[in-house]
Amino acid sequence: MGVDDFERKVVISGVGQSAIGRQVPRSGLQLTLDAITAAVADAGLVLDDIDGLAMFPGGGAANLPGYANGYLYEVQDALGLTTRWRQGQVEGMSLPFYGPAQAVATGQARHAVVWRTVKEGSAARGAGGRPAYGSTKPLAEGPMAWWLPLGALSPVCHVAPYATRYMHEYGVTREQLAWIPVTQRAHAALNPDAVYRTPLTVDEYLTSRMISSPICLYDCDVPADGSTAIVVSAMGTAPDLRAPVRIEAMAGVIDDRPSWDQWRDMGRVGYATAAAMWQRTDLRPADVDVAQIYDGFTIEAVWWLEAMGFCGTGEAGDFVEGGERISLGGDLPMNTWGGQLSGGRLHAGFGHTAEAVRQLRGEAGDRQVDHAEVAAVTNVGGFEAGAAILTRF
Amino acid sequence: MDAVEGIPPAVTEETEAFWAAAAEGRLVVERCDDCGAESFPPRGMCRSCRSRSLSPAEVTGRGRVYSYTVNYQRWTPDLEVPFAIGLVEFPAHPGVRVVGRLRGRDPEDVRVDDEVEIGFEPGPGGYAIPSFTVVGRGQAAGQAG
Ligand SMILES: [Zn+2]
Repeated sequence: MGVDDFERKVVISGVGQSAIGRQVPRSGLQLTLDAITAAVADAGLVLDDIDGLAMFPGGGAANLPGYANGYLYEVQDALGLTTRWRQGQVEGMSLPFYGPAQAVATGQARHAVVWRTVKEGSAARGAGGRPAYGSTKPLAEGPMAWWLPLGALSPVCHVAPYATRYMHEYGVTREQLAWIPVTQRAHAALNPDAVYRTPLTVDEYLTSRMISSPICLYDCDVPADGSTAIVVSAMGTAPDLRAPVRIEAMAGVIDDRPSWDQWRDMGRVGYATAAAMWQRTDLRPADVDVAQIYDGFTIEAVWWLEAMGFCGTGEAGDFVEGGERISLGGDLPMNTWGGQLSGGRLHAGFGHTAEAVRQLRGEAGDRQVDHAEVAAVTNVGGFEAGAAILTRF
Repeated sequence: MDAVEGIPPAVTEETEAFWAAAAEGRLVVERCDDCGAESFPPRGMCRSCRSRSLSPAEVTGRGRVYSYTVNYQRWTPDLEVPFAIGLVEFPAHPGVRVVGRLRGRDPEDVRVDDEVEIGFEPGPGGYAIPSFTVVGRGQAAGQAG
């Protein structure tokens, strides 16, 4: 802890979500307005209190079909607000609330809302399968110039070599890692907003379709429609807030080549970010009551279990095998909302953050972890990685 | 053989030399005129000493599969599957790792550390894409060299 612990000057005051599903027949703008309205009410605020807006991604960024929705200026126009701070995020997206926390801690905004709205479920239906690069990109630019000409048209293909290398180095098996999606599916069964709630077995996992080896169907998150909004408020406003949550520590470090293909040690990801985050708090991994760790693919959750120190390097297979440790009654209940693998690809840590806040408030319904006072949140990995500890106020 | 289905690269000032050499079946990377470091992809600045004085340098000799994946999903209707993609490193050229197709072996029989020969094949937009030929099984630990 030091003089620059700006995250202690702010709180996460509200979280809100639209309807979430494989397909939700509303526009991205309407889903966004639903989520923002819910998040602001959840904070105990009114819309006119909001003076900062941020979204992921910004700039109407062309990416995967259905990826970018709820454009910032349209949202501000619809809400009829005056804003003093705005941000579109892609680079620097280490955590959804990172930029808003910087803005609020430095007085640029008092209550900032950040949202992420996806329509990838609808895009998948329209395309007849999981969204891939192609329809939105006539040319492969920047880092994609080395992947897309090869026919490696999906992020699945770009992440899969990490899983291959990890399993090669540490002897971890698919039979072990199956317990991550299987356990998260059991959690999703307790979450009425999760996309997939029917039980999943290890056998079903092992016999499922391979997408890009060793990543199979159930290792991939579920393209979904839905919006998540998060409100970040100044600590000084806490008496006016319904149920704020503290940001104990957060960090996002890039210490290696920021590229899916050039990252040097593909068996170890997120370590610099996790180490920097732990330096900002006296809390230790054993203090964490519930973990919402990024799971765009199963292997990404593996990175975070190890980088955060919940288990040692190469030990995630043993850690998750059987599912007990990562289940609701276990040592480290993980992705209690089902994660992106079953809850839906709300993306960029937004679904994870919303769940962490609900767990810390005791508002997680049937999936509530007893006495949840410390929550870990992590986001993505590789070249953009974010890690945070949130605590009960 | 028909061209691989995919999205053609946007060729830039930095990558022009790579794609031009690829059309001739040669793999070139950036080599620093000042410190000799080699790097890929090309950035127009040496990642070791930040020199802006760089020249294309051809990589020859065998590479080694650092990691790989076998893609089974038909992301576009005309994409032929399955196919293997490898991240290939060159023991004689530290700092160089190139992604390419892997051929010459059943995709499901590719392994980490397999040895490959440099090659290319027709890709989208008339570009030649890296396509390494698997020629040998990787040596066991302790015998690498
Ligand atoms: Zn140099």
